[in-house]
Amino acid sequence: MRCLTHPLLRKLLSLPPQCVPGRGTPSKGAVLCPKPLFLKQSCSAGPGLVTATDMVNYWQKVFETNGIPEAQESSQYIVSFVLGAKTFQSLDSKSLHTPLTALQQEQIQQLSHKRLQRMPVQYVLGEWDFQELTLKMRPPVFIPRPETEDLVSLVVEEEFQKCENSALCFPAPVPHPVILEIGCGSGAIALSLLCKLPQSRVIAMDKEEAAVNLTRENAYRLQLQERIHIIHQDVSHSNSFHSYSPLCLFPFLSLMGGGRHERQFLGEDLDTELIGKMLSLRAVCDSFSFLGSAKQLLLWGPIDVIVSNPPYVFHEDMASLDAEILCYEDLDALDGGDDGMRVIKTILALAPSLLKVSGSVFLEVDPRHPNMVEHWLQAHPELLLTLRAIHKDFCGKPRFLHIQKQSS
Amino acid sequence: MPISLTAPPSPRRAHARCGRAAGGFVAEKPCPGFCMNVPGLFHFAFLLRGLQTPSWARWALRKQQLSLPSLPLLQAARKKNSLNLLELSEAELEEQFVRGDGPGGQATNKTNNCVVLKHIPSGIVVKCHQTRSVEKNRKIAREILQEKVDLFYKGEDSDVFKEKKTSEKQKLEKKRRAKENLERKKLFKEMQQLDKE
Repeated sequence: MRCLTHPLLRKLLSLPPQCVPGRGTPSKGAVLCPKPLFLKQSCSAGPGLVTATDMVNYWQKVFETNGIPEAQESSQYIVSFVLGAKTFQSLDSKSLHTPLTALQQEQIQQLSHKRLQRMPVQYVLGEWDFQELTLKMRPPVFIPRPETEDLVSLVVEEEFQKCENSALCFPAPVPHPVILEIGCGSGAIALSLLCKLPQSRVIAMDKEEAAVNLTRENAYRLQLQERIHIIHQDVSHSNSFHSYSPLCLFPFLSLMGGGRHERQFLGEDLDTELIGKMLSLRAVCDSFSFLGSAKQLLLWGPIDVIVSNPPYVFHEDMASLDAEILCYEDLDALDGGDDGMRVIKTILALAPSLLKVSGSVFLEVDPRHPNMVEHWLQAHPELLLTLRAIHKDFCGKPRFLHIQKQSS
Repeated sequence: MPISLTAPPSPRRAHARCGRAAGGFVAEKPCPGFCMNVPGLFHFAFLLRGLQTPSWARWALRKQQLSLPSLPLLQAARKKNSLNLLELSEAELEEQFVRGDGPGGQATNKTNNCVVLKHIPSGIVVKCHQTRSVEKNRKIAREILQEKVDLFYKGEDSDVFKEKKTSEKQKLEKKRRAKENLERKKLFKEMQQLDKE
């Protein structure tokens, strides 16, 4: 897990000094307009009475003065949240004109101070919506982006399409896929899929414990814990069985005894004890944990769909991300290496050993990736994966890949 | 399931453009919502997907149909709460999101999920920021727009208009009855007073 906390590094990237994760108190850098003066000028309900609209206008000015992006949106979300609504537009006329209580004003102030430190609104409120769900949000677990809602819809559509295609009688069977999500974060994709495909089951994995915990918490809140299996595991350490070096399994074998068999296995006349000593303890642990992890991923048998929003930002682009992202979110959830493809390639290399034939991989990627992935798959025909479709996001950018496993 | 073989795969949704916050509408040429890289067998599967309605609408329709004998999707009338409204074709819609020109995806964390939806033939515009989910806002925007467009073209014949009239009538009835009750109570009390005296 990487968070940009080193002060020198932040200075290098010209990040605002007030951006320090974990600090609850406002920093000296923020300029706060004297509140009573501002409010007197903006009270619409009468002297001393502050309405929701007054608060939004006030804090919007404060945010703008302090260079906080999305000043109006931020203040609207915060005020709405305190009033129990999702958005400002959804508040009725009555709520907009009713004077706020002292407690409500205090709550708005506390939340706004967090926003003044460039904390993303989703972390300020501690929750955010994804499709039909309201999920808990907590730094540094990656905040689901709106584009990813379409990724879920793609998977759901494909599952229904498969059912309709295979239906020989009516009514069409209901899809009941086993889905693997790699990099579950807050659980947005996994839990949405469970809701939209009531007969599905999901195995969700993430290399960060914070993400695993948050996914679990959200699963319990939505009463979906029975259908989701959450694993704390790094996909880079989940190599497919076939590509795993036999030498690494050696200590495991030697522990089981039978020297002659190991020699035959290796095809050479080797001293098993010596080799066993040479191999580090790490390799032994790795081989044990690998065997455990493969078992966990195939808990419910071969997988119908692998879905992922893997880190896909090009490493050179990381420095230009907004302060909200750099200071508060887990950078490992974003950085995809030099070409943004590191985790994408890992997932695709792993997929054939986990997927059923005609199983699919759905990925969210950078708009530059579709061609790169297509070429990479062509260069690795042994994976038997084909790029079936590229889908655009709601901004018209190529964003989603649908890859399918062929029969050999 | 009927296959639309006449037109090339239509966009999954109206061609959306990341609009600038201050910008007006820019007419965009419709472009394919997805590209295909594998010809032949999968081409066939893609024609099945070449429907006008966006993915979530098809999903919503499917949800209804799971409990009904399977109806061809293209023929299923789009009903909303038993109202019979004119269908909106995605090709006639223009959608804008206040997202700016940023890279989008993981590289951005913008919270503005407002959807601005325009029905080109009638010029009706709907702005929706009812929820914190872009997909939900898009759905709601279309529902509101569909009602407005129906009202626009059908006028008093529109189910929207009729429903509004009925509910207004009901409200007036309720008020009238409540008033009557109050007056009756008042009269009764007055009579009680007179009896006592």
